[in-house]
Amino acid sequence: MSFFGFDTTLPSHNKAQQNAHSSVTSNDNNNEILDFDDTYKGYGEYEEEEGDYLNAETFGGDVEIGTDFDFGHSNQSEPIVNTNRKSYVQAATSGFGNGSNKQTLPNTGSIATVNLDVSVDLKPMESLWGGSDASFTGATTNAATNTTTNAATNTTTNAPHVLSMEEIERQQRQFQQFNNGHPPHQGPPYMPPQGFMPPPQLPPQQQNQNAGQFNQPAFVPQLYPNMYHPNQYYQQPLAQNPQSHQQQQHHLSMPPPINVNPISLSSPNEQQQQSVVSASIPTNVTSSSTPTNSATISTSTAIPLSSPMLETDLHKTPLSHTASPMVSDHPELNMSVNAIPTPPIHAPVMVSSHSPAPTHQQQPPQQQQQQQQQSQGRSSQRREPLTPEEQKRLQIRHAKVEKILRHAGLMTPRDKDFITRYQLSQIVSDDPYNEDFYFQVYKIIQRGGVVGESNKGLIARAYLEHSGHRLGGRYKRADIALQRMQSQVEKAVTVAKERPQKKNDDSLNSGNGSGRDGVLGKVSTSLNSKAPRRQLTLPLTTSRSGSNLADEDINSPGQLRRNSSIGGALQEVTESLDNVDLNAKTRARRRSSYALSSIDQNFVLTRSGGRKFVLSLIESVYKEVLELEANLRSGKEINNKELWSALHVDDEFYEVSPFISMLSFDKGVKIMPRIFNFLDKEQKLKLLQTFFSELSHLNIIIISSYRTNPEPNESQLKKIDLFQTVFLKIIVSFLSNSSNFIEIMSLLLHLIKNNNVAFISTSKIGLNLITVLISRAALIRQDSNRSSVLSTPEISTWNEIYDKLFTALESKISNIFPPKEYIDKINQLSSQSANDNNNTNHTNINNKNNNSQSSPMTHYYDQAYIWQFLASLALSGKLNHQRIIIDEVRDEIFGTINQAELLKEQLQQKLAMDGNQNTAVSDEIMYRREKLYQDLNLFLNVMGLVSRDGEITELK
Amino acid sequence: MADNTPLDLLKLNLDEKIHVKLRGARTMTGTLQAFDSHCNIVLSDAIEIIYNLTDDGTLESNERKSEMVFIRGDSVTLITTPEED
Repeated sequence: MSFFGFDTTLPSHNKAQQNAHSSVTSNDNNNEILDFDDTYKGYGEYEEEEGDYLNAETFGGDVEIGTDFDFGHSNQSEPIVNTNRKSYVQAATSGFGNGSNKQTLPNTGSIATVNLDVSVDLKPMESLWGGSDASFTGATTNAATNTTTNAATNTTTNAPHVLSMEEIERQQRQFQQFNNGHPPHQGPPYMPPQGFMPPPQLPPQQQNQNAGQFNQPAFVPQLYPNMYHPNQYYQQPLAQNPQSHQQQQHHLSMPPPINVNPISLSSPNEQQQQSVVSASIPTNVTSSSTPTNSATISTSTAIPLSSPMLETDLHKTPLSHTASPMVSDHPELNMSVNAIPTPPIHAPVMVSSHSPAPTHQQQPPQQQQQQQQQSQGRSSQRREPLTPEEQKRLQIRHAKVEKILRHAGLMTPRDKDFITRYQLSQIVSDDPYNEDFYFQVYKIIQRGGVVGESNKGLIARAYLEHSGHRLGGRYKRADIALQRMQSQVEKAVTVAKERPQKKNDDSLNSGNGSGRDGVLGKVSTSLNSKAPRRQLTLPLTTSRSGSNLADEDINSPGQLRRNSSIGGALQEVTESLDNVDLNAKTRARRRSSYALSSIDQNFVLTRSGGRKFVLSLIESVYKEVLELEANLRSGKEINNKELWSALHVDDEFYEVSPFISMLSFDKGVKIMPRIFNFLDKEQKLKLLQTFFSELSHLNIIIISSYRTNPEPNESQLKKIDLFQTVFLKIIVSFLSNSSNFIEIMSLLLHLIKNNNVAFISTSKIGLNLITVLISRAALIRQDSNRSSVLSTPEISTWNEIYDKLFTALESKISNIFPPKEYIDKINQLSSQSANDNNNTNHTNINNKNNNSQSSPMTHYYDQAYIWQFLASLALSGKLNHQRIIIDEVRDEIFGTINQAELLKEQLQQKLAMDGNQNTAVSDEIMYRREKLYQDLNLFLNVMGLVSRDGEITELK
Repeated sequence: MADNTPLDLLKLNLDEKIHVKLRGARTMTGTLQAFDSHCNIVLSDAIEIIYNLTDDGTLESNERKSEMVFIRGDSVTLITTPEED
């Protein structure tokens, strides 16, 4: 409760009143009035100033839990935030001020008075800055003396406030000097002592002007502390000066000042701030020491000025006609005020600004007195809110400030840079645990707690190990830390770039573009996604009913089918049509597939919209392609938009992309080359990304894997054949013609991340696809080794991806060799089909039918694709990778050699038995033997080995 | 696309295996190559099965393969997708 009936704890209330009041008082001056909206509107509401984001870093270290120390909590109520800022600023600026004094203020003669009660808070800074903060207190001391003289006319308690004009001017000048001479720094978050930021400097002229006119609104906040902070005021009983109070209130000649006072007082921030200070200050302040105190205090309030400043500003406006040009300067002034700890000097200025007279000089003594009375009244008001409860709060506040100050300036910019680097590098780290600085240190601390003393040494070592990358660090990194950092940043940037692109694609190309990329745990390209995070795959529950369906043409039969499967009433029909496993009808969407659920082709189809739907999609794709081809022939413009949407490549609505399901149908595969004619590169890439992402759902993978389809039938072999001739060809040509290294990597990454690589490698098609990718990448790398096209980050990313691939395959490499039964089965089928159709299977399916002789010998399973894969895998790998590969497939290597030698024996036997009769057979056996060695050597040559006649030797 | 007539449905199965029931206790299974509004159908790799009820009440069936076959529409009684093998 203030004397004026303002609730001092409710700023908003006050503000409202204030505003009302200002509007009343300033009516006649409307034109020249500084428009609140133009100048300070909303300043008070800013919860965060620019550059505040480093606060947590600066102060976060030593905050005790539960201290209610809310840096970084942006949603705090405004007053609190302000207070925090104040305290921070106090901390910061005090240090700064000290430093600046040292540098800029020449008149440091009166150091003696220094530090009396600069309060414990400032001590650390003092030490940092050589305790020279006295310099400018000297100036204030002068002012103080003056003040005291002036104050003599008033009640003694007011003494320090009343500054004579001379004092004020002097202070102003000093400030100016100070201001000019010293680069103020902008944000509280930055280390005050360093003062890195080149701040806006006030043109001296203007400053002079300001000083002369005393209507610098920016300084208002500083005024308060100066005037009220000493405890004396608070302790003054209200009754002591009731008259003056009333007088003040009713004084008609100076309505604005009156208002200003209660308002400024009522601002809780202010109050708290001041109270904090007061707590630390002994009550029996001498007149000389008071200014010093006020100096520090005012520094502390420098930043929070926002709301009080606004208010004062409003009130001041009537007075400041002459100052109207200064409106534009306010922000600058503010900044300088924020940045510079010299506020005490300004405080008196502000006092004067409150006076009714335009300038202090013109102020009659009586008015001055009144003003003093005012201030006294304020002080008495002040005193009221200081209940024990508040006292307590103040103490807490003070404790906080102390804490802040204790560690202020501990971190050099280099330290901060270091931490920033670590945080950044965490984003792109390969090895999140070992490279997590915080984790490492934490680990040591944990461990050290048990072991005992040597904690510090350990921590230091950990620090060095991590920071010492320049020298190779613990992990003997060859790359210099800086380079590493650069590459990591580049990687991070690439990732960041890639994301919005994806989104665009989604929104462009599919109706429901809610990209899964953004979904938690489903970061699609991120080169940085680490295993722990990647494991999280959130099932996207897309309800298939209701609005989603409404979008579609329900009349279409395909839709009807789907409808029925949803509706439940027609489920039986669906079931009979589709053999759908209804239990699996969970609409939980899990597109990253671990194949086993995809074995049932019908199930896969259902998950991508149903067989009819996919078929109808194929029809529309055909239609579009035909149209485009017609346009091409007639030279019309070609717009593939329709075609692209018909492909449903990135259709997120279904668990399995309909595009993938299209490839289950022969006609879907057959149309692909024609589709590719009309797609641009980006679309192709996107298509292939989808393709590789959902490889496990691809029917052809299922039927070409000996695991899921141990007994393939003839038509399936035909399908595999078709797929290989058609689609694989497209991919290869795309990769070799138009794709760059990064694209290949991203495709491979899609494959690795979303699929069970070990399973895919058991299928011939899958293995072929992987081979195509890694061999192409290896080629590009070899090419660019010469011309050094690839950047370091590309190489390292590639290594990363390769490692992932290899990890997925490790210990399962031998599984890529199909079991004997499977081979036999295929051989048998091939022989049959060879008999039936005379060479339906061509060389590209690796079932060689060199001649149509029906001897079972003629058909054998060509394992060339496996050796190709191993060769390219080894080609891209390092020596230890190659070792692992050889270890795992050693049996197969020797098995192949044995087989070849066996063939040789067979041949010799045959020759011995029936002479020279059957040259065709012997030729074929020879050929097969050659072929076996040829394939095997493809792999062995990579490692500089060669195998001939049952021996493995070094390649010469 | 307009796929709301029965024949449009049939169109979806172009190049797919279909199973056709015919008058005279015959069925054909093959890849649909072409059809028209009279349900004239061209199948490739077709297997025709002719059922025959013998005098003693047992059902025999004869199979015949043909690489490409034309089925006149008026003999078609049913078209469906074949049972999965």
